Amino acid sequence: MSHLSHGIDTHTAGGLRPKAGRKPLFRGALLAILVYLVMYVLYGLAEPDAFSAYSIANLFNNAAPLALAAAGQTLVILSRGFDLSLAGVISIANVLTAIAPFDGPLGALFSLALSMAAGAVVGAVNGYLVAYRGIQTIAATLGTMIISQGIALLLLPVPGGSVAPFVSDTLTDMLWNTVPVSALIVGFFALLWLGLKNTDTGIAFYAVGADDNAAALSGIPVKWTRCKAFILAGCFYGAAGFMLSAQTATGDPNAGLPFLLLSFAAVALGGTSLSGGHGGAFGSMVGAAVLLLMQKMLFALGVASFYIGFFQGVLLILAIVCGRVINRPRAGGTAR
Amino acid sequence: MNTSTPVNPSASPRRDQRTGSRINGEYIAPLMLLLLTVLMIFASRLISPALGSWSQMLMIVTLSTFLLLVSFGQGLVILSGGMDLSVASLFMFGGVMSAGAIGADGGNVAYMLPLILLGAAAIGAFSGIGIALLGIPPFIMTMGTGIIVASLALGASGGSTLGASPPLLSALVKGSIAGMPCILVFFILFCLLGIFIQKSTVFGRNLYAIGGSLGAARVSGLPVTSVTIAAYALSGLSAAAGGALLTGYSDGATLRMGDPYLLPSIAAVVVGGSSILGGKGTFVGTIVGCLFLVTLDSVIAATGLSQGWRQIVSGVVITLALLFQSGSDNALAVWLENCAKLFKK
Repeated sequence: MSHLSHGIDTHTAGGLRPKAGRKPLFRGALLAILVYLVMYVLYGLAEPDAFSAYSIANLFNNAAPLALAAAGQTLVILSRGFDLSLAGVISIANVLTAIAPFDGPLGALFSLALSMAAGAVVGAVNGYLVAYRGIQTIAATLGTMIISQGIALLLLPVPGGSVAPFVSDTLTDMLWNTVPVSALIVGFFALLWLGLKNTDTGIAFYAVGADDNAAALSGIPVKWTRCKAFILAGCFYGAAGFMLSAQTATGDPNAGLPFLLLSFAAVALGGTSLSGGHGGAFGSMVGAAVLLLMQKMLFALGVASFYIGFFQGVLLILAIVCGRVINRPRAGGTAR
Repeated sequence: MNTSTPVNPSASPRRDQRTGSRINGEYIAPLMLLLLTVLMIFASRLISPALGSWSQMLMIVTLSTFLLLVSFGQGLVILSGGMDLSVASLFMFGGVMSAGAIGADGGNVAYMLPLILLGAAAIGAFSGIGIALLGIPPFIMTMGTGIIVASLALGASGGSTLGASPPLLSALVKGSIAGMPCILVFFILFCLLGIFIQKSTVFGRNLYAIGGSLGAARVSGLPVTSVTIAAYALSGLSAAAGGALLTGYSDGATLRMGDPYLLPSIAAVVVGGSSILGGKGTFVGTIVGCLFLVTLDSVIAATGLSQGWRQIVSGVVITLALLFQSGSDNALAVWLENCAKLFKK
């Protein structure tokens, strides 16, 4: 995009103006939280058990992998890109945790580190291809996704293996019978993001996504920033794959594929602009929780399993429309 | 010939599509990809002598046709700066409806087939309306539409697989007229039609303008809303047509038949040199992209490697192909440009 046209785009979409007054970065997450609460009440009405500590822990366990994956995807989307390699990295992390189980807290930590390292390596390749070789993000990450999917298949050709008992039991359990462990882990990554957001690196992500020319002119190392976004995102996907292993307790070389499109939906629900520059990973995490609660709620409300997808699609579109209506009463709508 | 070509065309971020340029930067990527595809076909003879034969080539063209139909619509939508994630569902819609509502006797094909395609166009237009009028991000709108269509098909069919393909569709894919395979004729006709629509119609040019800069397109009074809706409607229609053809080829339809076409349809467009951000790209590139991906698939399938290695090789080749075409400092790109310049004299 040329500088001029980009200026017109953001202007007509009202992207820059309301920032000063109404804190758009927070609004997206706020809306997702609101949607979540409404769904939770509906879920609670249909399923009286819903407010028990056990089912709250269950919800967190369910949402943790997608929440971490969506948080990673957000980093790439903020710097204006798409990352398809997410699916491959989650598969690799899941397979690694299943074929090489390390028990005990230290073993779990090692598995987590291993998963995140695998993600970082894939992310570094993405970053190199995108930032230093000028390949379009979706094309580069498609290549690495296919390759990492293949590596996962080499490591474990058919679903199987078993995750270390500590990982599958303790990480899905509750601390003192009240606090879900998975919530703590997701919370840790959310804090990590909130810390990162205000560092130079975090600000650089936003700047590069909003306008990479302006970012370059103001002294931000654009290429390295892009690269960093991919590497960090890879770490998040690795953590997501690790949490998925804890939840399923087994390995599946195709485990990551269902996360691919859902991660984009979670990011959009969380109020992050898919064309970069606006939003945040915290919103995406809530968006992920919304998506998974939506499934549970529809099931609890008695929607036939065949048609759950129908309502899911409708709700997804409605949630975004509501967001638009609330956020921009005056906008005429844009095609992006 | 066109003299307005800059010193190094592939270095400029965005070229004007309306000047009717010849072999300039935007055809370098497809040319190199074509070269790579041909090389791959020759190399495949080393793996198996059956590869690279006439019947093998016809198979590649046949399989490319399904992908090409999906990629055509996907390409139009990407050109406008969007993306269509509902193509897999609409592909399935076209196939399942052809098998279910027309079936093996095919008596009602004359009015059912157009109705099915119109239905698919209407579903596509539904996505387009959400995107152009309500401002929903294309990713979400088309994903939602896709989930809805897939879920309705699942509910209506109860998850069972449908058999029986209409004779007309089977004839189109498998038959031949006067010694020429029908599918080859169809492939060529469709390529020409696609190039014409994208490059030479007002609709196509408007898409370039919208994808290049939505704000500028609005300001200059282009019918942004209707063109965007039309692009998604065409995408739905062509995806469903692809599904109908595949039903003719495979003698049946399944609920998951569209899934393997979603990412390749995007890949074909992007590998063919279009910008994922919109406003830049040619249908010729997409055609070559389809041929490349299908050839790669069929060559790798013949190697007898394990599934994991196949994927790794496939991903590496796609990435190398992208590296091969990227960057204006690419030695081959410079060489091809020089060749193009020689032709101009």
